[in-house]
Amino acid sequence: MDNSVPDFVLFLGRFHPLVVHLPIGFLFFAFVLEVFSRWKKNPMLTTGIPLALLLGAISGAVACVLGYMLSLSGDYEADALDTHFWFGIATTAIAFLAWLIRIEKIKIAKLNRLQPNISSLTLLVILLSVTGHYGGNLTHGSDYLLKYSPFGKEEKTELVAVTKLEDAQVFNHLVGPILDNKCASCHNESKKKGSLSFHDSTAILKGGKNGKILISGNASESEMIKRVLLEPHHDDFMPPEGKTPLTEEEIAILTYWIDNAKGNFDATVANVETPEDISGIASTMLGLSSSVVKGADIALPTVSVVTANQIVDLEKEGFTLRELVFDSGLYEVVLAPNTVVKGDGQAALKKLEKLLTIKENIIWLSLEDNQLTDESLKIVGQLPNIQKLKLNKNPLSDTAITELVNLKSLTSLNLYGTQVTSKSLQTIAKITSLKHVYVWKTNIKQEDIDEMALNDYPEVILGL
Amino acid sequence: MCNDHHNKLTSNNRDLQKIERQIDRRHFLKKTSLGLGAIALSSLLGAEKMFGATGSKTKEDIILENYNKNRLGLPHHLPKAKRIIYLFQSGGPSQMDLFDYKPKLVDMFGKELPESIIGGQRLTGMSGSQSTLPIAPSTFNFKQYGKSKAWVSDAMPYLSEVVDDLCFMKGMQTDQINHTPAITFMQTGHQLPGRPSIGSWLSYGLGSDNENLPTFITLVSKNGKGQPLKSSLWGNGFLPTEHQGVQFRSGKDPVLYLSDPENYDGNDRRHMLDYLGGLNDIQNDAYGDPEIQARMSQYEMAFKMQTSVPEVADLSDEPDHIFELYGKDSRDPGTYAANCLMARKLLEKGVKFVQLYHQGWDQHNNCPGGLKHQCKKTDQGTAALIKDLKQRGMLDDTLVIWGGEFGRTVYSQGQLTKENHGRDHHPKAFTMWMAGAGVKPGFSYGETDDFSYNVIKDPLHVHDFHATLMHLVGVDHERLTFKHQGRRYRLTDVHGHVVKDLLT
Repeated sequence: MDNSVPDFVLFLGRFHPLVVHLPIGFLFFAFVLEVFSRWKKNPMLTTGIPLALLLGAISGAVACVLGYMLSLSGDYEADALDTHFWFGIATTAIAFLAWLIRIEKIKIAKLNRLQPNISSLTLLVILLSVTGHYGGNLTHGSDYLLKYSPFGKEEKTELVAVTKLEDAQVFNHLVGPILDNKCASCHNESKKKGSLSFHDSTAILKGGKNGKILISGNASESEMIKRVLLEPHHDDFMPPEGKTPLTEEEIAILTYWIDNAKGNFDATVANVETPEDISGIASTMLGLSSSVVKGADIALPTVSVVTANQIVDLEKEGFTLRELVFDSGLYEVVLAPNTVVKGDGQAALKKLEKLLTIKENIIWLSLEDNQLTDESLKIVGQLPNIQKLKLNKNPLSDTAITELVNLKSLTSLNLYGTQVTSKSLQTIAKITSLKHVYVWKTNIKQEDIDEMALNDYPEVILGL
Repeated sequence: MCNDHHNKLTSNNRDLQKIERQIDRRHFLKKTSLGLGAIALSSLLGAEKMFGATGSKTKEDIILENYNKNRLGLPHHLPKAKRIIYLFQSGGPSQMDLFDYKPKLVDMFGKELPESIIGGQRLTGMSGSQSTLPIAPSTFNFKQYGKSKAWVSDAMPYLSEVVDDLCFMKGMQTDQINHTPAITFMQTGHQLPGRPSIGSWLSYGLGSDNENLPTFITLVSKNGKGQPLKSSLWGNGFLPTEHQGVQFRSGKDPVLYLSDPENYDGNDRRHMLDYLGGLNDIQNDAYGDPEIQARMSQYEMAFKMQTSVPEVADLSDEPDHIFELYGKDSRDPGTYAANCLMARKLLEKGVKFVQLYHQGWDQHNNCPGGLKHQCKKTDQGTAALIKDLKQRGMLDDTLVIWGGEFGRTVYSQGQLTKENHGRDHHPKAFTMWMAGAGVKPGFSYGETDDFSYNVIKDPLHVHDFHATLMHLVGVDHERLTFKHQGRRYRLTDVHGHVVKDLLT
């Protein structure tokens, strides 16, 4: 906006938030000394007050000058700035006045009854608080302080919670929260970095000092998308270094809004062309069930750690454990093929029961070629977080598969070399998270699979 | 003898030098001035430790030792691939004769390749001195296959059946124009030998998934002709030695020197190894040289491999239809097809990284005939491996990689006729593909110009390929490092970006 301000002035101006804490400290300490000396009846304490007041007044004056320099950047909303500006000057002036009263340069006999020392100090503390509050509003936004307060929560625009993705408004439900979270701390009604604010649709459409930030239908040319896609070390990268960058999902949503919803503020998901990956991200954002979403990765659960003793116990049974993400407590568990020998189905069952001690921790499980009986799958069905399950080369029938319907995270199921039939294909349809099912060398035939060829049906791999 | 002793103490590894320095003057005087008595005593003390230590380790201790948290903090994120098989086509397969279909070239037969396309690039000494660089269109016929409508030439009839499982990378780029540096670059991330290979990094970072076979195994097709391969391609570089690739050979002895010598029954081998282990333990305490530990673990591995290798190398229990799938070559040990089949068995046994090499893709002359021959040797085996892994459900967590060290030129090296031409090395654009865990199936990434000479969309540098490969096995390529000669190294060194567009 105003580029005539020399960089050096802005450089000094940026020290305002730092220097401003000096008068706050000095003046508040003067007040504390005054109160304390009265309470403890210790007049010795008052000797420091004049010095504290003087230093407070001087540093206050410096802060005022620096603050003025900072205000020249034009990044702040004029009204809020004015209030802070005048309160700041008033605080400084009163500080000088209080100092003069304290060292008795000014004596107004009439006012003696009012106890000028304590009154002026009290006034100072009030002024300090008000000035500080407005200053904070300028930096962090006016709703920063009370955003998480437990009382008086006033939802400005109560968003209707959506139960179906189609009902969600692209801007209000999806884009808005991202902007609020990642951008609004610097681009809001009162603090407009680069003259840009995200507080309402007019402000967004208006853009910033470099012009418009969004080109309807063309995300890749829109400044707000370009900026978040730069190399993180680039000077123009947004949000700036030190702040949390946008996630890929968030960028995808913004792009979707600009490209598919043409930057429309009233569009709903239903009347915008919505690719699968976007509906996946959006569902997750809105806390809707992700089971309708294919292709999206299933979020990893948070689980308790597995103790060394638990590992030793399982190892002794012949299981191998490997942590899938360091320190996550999420494991791949493998029972090496042929650990259980033929005719000893009970042994397999007993081993599997041990898995229940870490049932939430198992993400991948391989029980290949271990004489598993249908009964033993009851235990597998109780491992809630399983994503990949290998049951191949076990004498399992259709009954076994019915035990798995409650596994909500299962994406890959290997049944090759089992005795399942086309009946199991029906069961599989109930496990909506499944993406791949392997049924080579079972009783399932290509015709059976063709019959099941439904839209959302997982890919069934038959082999040769 | 004494000199030999001294040599062992000089290391160029800074960390090791520190350990060596601990054996300082005082230490030395103490050990020597007291003379033989002290030496005898120290060996006695050592012996005591030795016999005490081996006996007291319980099974629990061993399990806990192995399952202590990964000391490097890996994996960094949930892996997509549990294991990798890399089918290395050594020599530089011609992209425009196999996958990168360039129909416009037909009309440009024999015309000079425009200088604007070459862009001042320095050519090799083999074709750089040619007076003319005539355009040589492919002699192969291309068709689109599968739901993904991928272009494949008729040189690869089997592979065309599985294109819907493949993720083509048509904008590959490397820095190197000659075989040895280019293949070294592709396998280790640096053109000079001495860096650890991909498999070694993975072995070092992720450890082993099985107790009886090495983490990283290399298979080289027998009777390979063309550019030589050398063990530094699967070497460990500066990583501890146990992470190097173990080469399996064809024939009776897949791993050399593994079988017992004649007239030795091997019955006291276990006892011998225990005792040797004890001695090495003492040495390890005194010097702390990581190579001692590497040696110990390799002796143990070799011992286990005495039984595990003959078992895995024995293909006789494979049914006939599997041999038919891999082609008749697969019954002939050491061929590419047989190696593909063996590789599948190794992957099934929990080997993390299997690297196949097949030589002979260096068609400087007789490109049409040479390529046909190469494809005949490899096409069926490659496609069979994909199908076989898929039907067993293993493609779900196995990453398959196919590719050479660079591509080939559109212009003919040597005489160009309607039926024949040669092609020189070309680093600026070539095709590789991946399949399986975590990569988009039936997908093609990157595009070259009409001459298959420059990448015009989505270039994919070797470093980016490495970064993506690491990402798929749960490793952040920037965080798996090893300190050597005063600085930290990684596979991608200071380069590489994960190409998210390739990932599911």
